[in-house]
Amino acid sequence: MARFVLSRALKAVLTVWIAITSTFFLLRLLPGDPTSLMVEGDMTPEMQAALLKTYGLDRPLWEQYVSYLRELLQGNLGISFRQIQPVADIIVDRLPWTLLLAGSAFVITIAVGIPIGVSAAVHRGRWLDRTLQALGIGGHALFVPSVAMLLLVFLGARLGWFPIGGAIDPDTRGAAAYLSLAHHLVLPVLSLVLVQLGPYALTLRTNMIEVLGEDYIRAAQARGLSARRRVWKHGLRNAILPALTLMGLQLGTLVGGAVLTETVFAYPGVGRLIFEAVGQQDYPVLQGAFIMLAVTVVAANALTDMLYAVLNPRIRL
Amino acid sequence: MSAPVLTEQTVPPVAPAAVRRSWYSYLRQPSAALSVLVLLVMVVMAVFAPLIADEPVGAGADVLQSPSGAHWFGTDDLGQDIFAQVVWGTRTSLVIGLAASVIAIVLGTAIGLASAYFRPIDAVATVITDVMLALPTLPLMIMLAAVVNPSVWTLTMIIGFFAWPEVARLIRSQGLVVSAMPYIDGARVLGATGWRIVTREILPAVVSLVIVSVLLTASRAVISEAGLSFLGLGDPDAWSWGRILLNAQRSGVIAIAWWQTLFPSLAILLLVLSATVAGMRFNDTRDPRRNGG
Repeated sequence: MARFVLSRALKAVLTVWIAITSTFFLLRLLPGDPTSLMVEGDMTPEMQAALLKTYGLDRPLWEQYVSYLRELLQGNLGISFRQIQPVADIIVDRLPWTLLLAGSAFVITIAVGIPIGVSAAVHRGRWLDRTLQALGIGGHALFVPSVAMLLLVFLGARLGWFPIGGAIDPDTRGAAAYLSLAHHLVLPVLSLVLVQLGPYALTLRTNMIEVLGEDYIRAAQARGLSARRRVWKHGLRNAILPALTLMGLQLGTLVGGAVLTETVFAYPGVGRLIFEAVGQQDYPVLQGAFIMLAVTVVAANALTDMLYAVLNPRIRL
Repeated sequence: MSAPVLTEQTVPPVAPAAVRRSWYSYLRQPSAALSVLVLLVMVVMAVFAPLIADEPVGAGADVLQSPSGAHWFGTDDLGQDIFAQVVWGTRTSLVIGLAASVIAIVLGTAIGLASAYFRPIDAVATVITDVMLALPTLPLMIMLAAVVNPSVWTLTMIIGFFAWPEVARLIRSQGLVVSAMPYIDGARVLGATGWRIVTREILPAVVSLVIVSVLLTASRAVISEAGLSFLGLGDPDAWSWGRILLNAQRSGVIAIAWWQTLFPSLAILLLVLSATVAGMRFNDTRDPRRNGG
């Protein structure tokens, strides 16, 4: 067990290292003078040289890389061009909001997707199953900002049921603050869930149909267990683990969706930060945001895999 | 969610008559025929955009008009016609979608086939594929697109370069099945080189999967392009559906001008849905277990 956890963690670290290294070199190989990205307007050659020296950009590439890695390990993601503030501080301020948004969408997709997927598998060919097949394919065609903006226009602005932006009403205190938080979260989470749910439940249905054909389900039937017990206790137990891993694999897509949703709803997470940084060409913030999101996704993915190993009695590690 | 799950099996080479028959049975399915029709209409719209609507430029007199006979999809806060924007946006979406898909397919097929047949390549290729699939692609593409000058060309390169791992994984898994077949051993015994076996024996066996991948990868590329344009990283000289949505978002009149959101959204939905359905139905048709052939 310990060996599995260790090797999975090592794989996660390796993934992040490869991502950081390749983006470091890719960004420096791309055409474009880094100083022109930092300062608008004309600069004298002396000013340019001074700026390059300040950021250490005049040293050989490998030296830059080594010091970049060393700084990263100490939690230094560089200084924002626009806000003259450490990038790490800016992102750490914003990250909880993205985790709340993506985490809620993750949990709700699983919680709603499992009963739908299982029912569709049990009642194959019935209306729920057919609807799910259509939605499962349709879900791939949904564009997150489209869904988010239409929800914002109709449920937010026109009907006025939900706030159209932000994460919380700053004037609220105590229980009212939590209510306001939840109220602001509804539309952004709904946008993500609507896009993820169909394909997720459809894949779950396919897994479940496979599980229901297994010998131990027939054995349970022979033992006279009720259909309900066979499906929900024996079948689901074996279908739920792959369902969890499956969702873990979708974390990257979920984070991408969160970036777009936050942009639509002016939700103060890392996604909205990325959108603002694009407008200001604040390129250390973009790089830092990518690294932080990559670390989050890879770590969450590794944790899902470890959870799988702990929960699955068939894997004796 | 990523690409729809495809059933994987090996298809032996078929005679021309059988190819015609399978095209016929493919198009006889209403969903397949409808999807192909929608795709054709989109292609016509993209090619003949200048004949269908004038390129939207400058400000017009009719500001924020709701959809009417004069402006089918209404107008935006600058008085530009949304229908014209959507028609011209079709060009960008189709060009980037197809071109990025071709890049991804070429890279993915080459890497997938190489790792299916050559063991040492497989170890390296699998690590790279796994790393790329594990990372959040959109923030990665944003970071690169922000640094280079955004144009149709650079967006195509960036999207194509990050779309190949899914293709590589799919082609590799089917390639592994084919490589284990007796006729590959036969070719090796006859003295065929590795290159010849991969290009002449394995590639033809996976080619229908490659065709399906083109459609599914293109539909993901269209979504990626729309996402980058929506974040302000699109080509500033080309209309794009994502850019129309960005304008709607920025205009501050999104609650009134719902048409500025709805019509480009429908365009994305229609294009991606038809490409996906066309690809999946094609995949079903070539499956001998489904069509009784």
